[in-house]
Amino acid sequence: MAVLRWALVGAAAVALVTFPYWSAPWVSRFATTLVRDALILAIFALSLDLLVGRAGMPSLGHAAFFGAGAYAAGITGQRLATDQLPVTLGAAALVGALLALIIGVLVVRSEGIFFLMLTLALAQIVFAIAFQWTALTGGSNGLSGLDFSAPDLMYVLVAITFVLAALVIWGLGRSPYGRALSGVRENERRMRALGYDTARLRLSAFVIAGTIAGIAGALSAYSTRFVSAQDAGLANSVRAFVTVLVGGAGTLGGPIVGSALVSLIERVVPSLLPTDLRISQAILGLVFIFFVLFARQGMVGLGRSAYQRVQHR
Amino acid sequence: MIEVRELRRAFGGVVALDGVTLTLAEGERRAVIGPNGAGKTTLINTLAGETAPTGGTIRLAGRDITRLRSWQRARLGLAHVYQRTELFASLSARDNVGLAIAARRGPYRVLRAVPRADYSEGEAVLEDVGLAGRGGAAARDLSHGERRQLELAVALAQRPRVLLLDEPTAGMSPLETGRITELIAGLDRALTILIVEHDMDVVFRLADRVTVLHEGRVIADGTAADVRGDMRVHDVYLGKAVTVA
Repeated sequence: MAVLRWALVGAAAVALVTFPYWSAPWVSRFATTLVRDALILAIFALSLDLLVGRAGMPSLGHAAFFGAGAYAAGITGQRLATDQLPVTLGAAALVGALLALIIGVLVVRSEGIFFLMLTLALAQIVFAIAFQWTALTGGSNGLSGLDFSAPDLMYVLVAITFVLAALVIWGLGRSPYGRALSGVRENERRMRALGYDTARLRLSAFVIAGTIAGIAGALSAYSTRFVSAQDAGLANSVRAFVTVLVGGAGTLGGPIVGSALVSLIERVVPSLLPTDLRISQAILGLVFIFFVLFARQGMVGLGRSAYQRVQHR
Repeated sequence: MIEVRELRRAFGGVVALDGVTLTLAEGERRAVIGPNGAGKTTLINTLAGETAPTGGTIRLAGRDITRLRSWQRARLGLAHVYQRTELFASLSARDNVGLAIAARRGPYRVLRAVPRADYSEGEAVLEDVGLAGRGGAAARDLSHGERRQLELAVALAQRPRVLLLDEPTAGMSPLETGRITELIAGLDRALTILIVEHDMDVVFRLADRVTVLHEGRVIADGTAADVRGDMRVHDVYLGKAVTVA
């Protein structure tokens, strides 16, 4: 069974990474772009879910690390005039990690709504810096004209990074470390009584999530060849949060299917509607409200209960 | 093993602990009794490091732990069974115990799955407390009695040197109370136990010595037989219980 499961996962991973090559006869190039952007959102959402779903830390400031990674890749690329991925991607991961360490030290001792508001406020400071430090970030113009590599190769890089990120999050989830994060989510007081330094555990999760979000930001910068202060803005934080909750927090599949649904609503639905009808954000809002009211476990939860109903029949 | 000197704790104007001094030898089993509001739970929480004392010192095996945090005290061998069950509700009984076992090795192991040895050790502890075969159930799906058993299992899985028990049989049926009492009675004699309990049968079954707390002060301290005969204790607390017994 285990071998079969790994074979299936491996086949799916290969199919995903090679998508532009085998899908060409059936779908337009737009499909590749769409899948690429959905995968970037999925990496971003997976990193956020390590906090929200796993460790019970509802951050509304996760875009700070996404934006920091995007700027780090863009700025190192421009200033060093390099398109060496190890350099720009490494810079993005490092800056994401460092920023998460700084913000994390300030927020990990708070919980619930206070944690939410603190992460939101600190991320807004990051956004303000990005918006106003024109010399470094281009301010409201953003960073444009970034050049990395061919679009197909770009897709492959994103897909491979996605597979690796999903593997890392999955591996953490089943390790003693992941179980300890679940313990922090379930009962921090008991964790301390067992001898866990829970503040440090939460900080470590925050830094891991920030690092992965930084990498997602860099991939976004490569893909769109543009970095905007909005990448670090509240709307982007909310987008990741909605993706996690709609897909299903605390599961590996949740952030992934959530990012597929959010991408469809944002990118495909508008093309089906009259062009003057710009309601995709409103639709996304309604979908979010539906899941919050009727399906707290998200799409994964809906799938599970449907599966159980079939089994019991 | 535990030396408490002049321990004080006030909540606003209310003095919960008013200079409590007590010493537990290694392997001693001590019950702390007293009427509601005597400061028993505050004493346990202060020993566990969850409530900071406003005065006095606490020593564990000669080391001053007064200023250590609860997780640091746990690493020195202190385990706490709460009066109101504190478990990981959505995790399985197996993982509840597993987190206690894993705590001894630290949480920063990321490369491999939870080792099987942890699970088999956990199964043994669950069996000890009478939860054999319940390892797969989520803590929140267990009955009240089973949750109390799991609460004890989690503390025992820490392999502590000192066990702080805050009414371990609270809310249990007489049958369950008997089971848990015998389980505690049968624990390793090297383990130092401090137990807060209202059920006098449990107290006299388990305790070598009994400390009586009243309004935050120790008013009697002695062997179980001494305390049974102490008239002051009858006045504040035991009268009814003794006539029943």
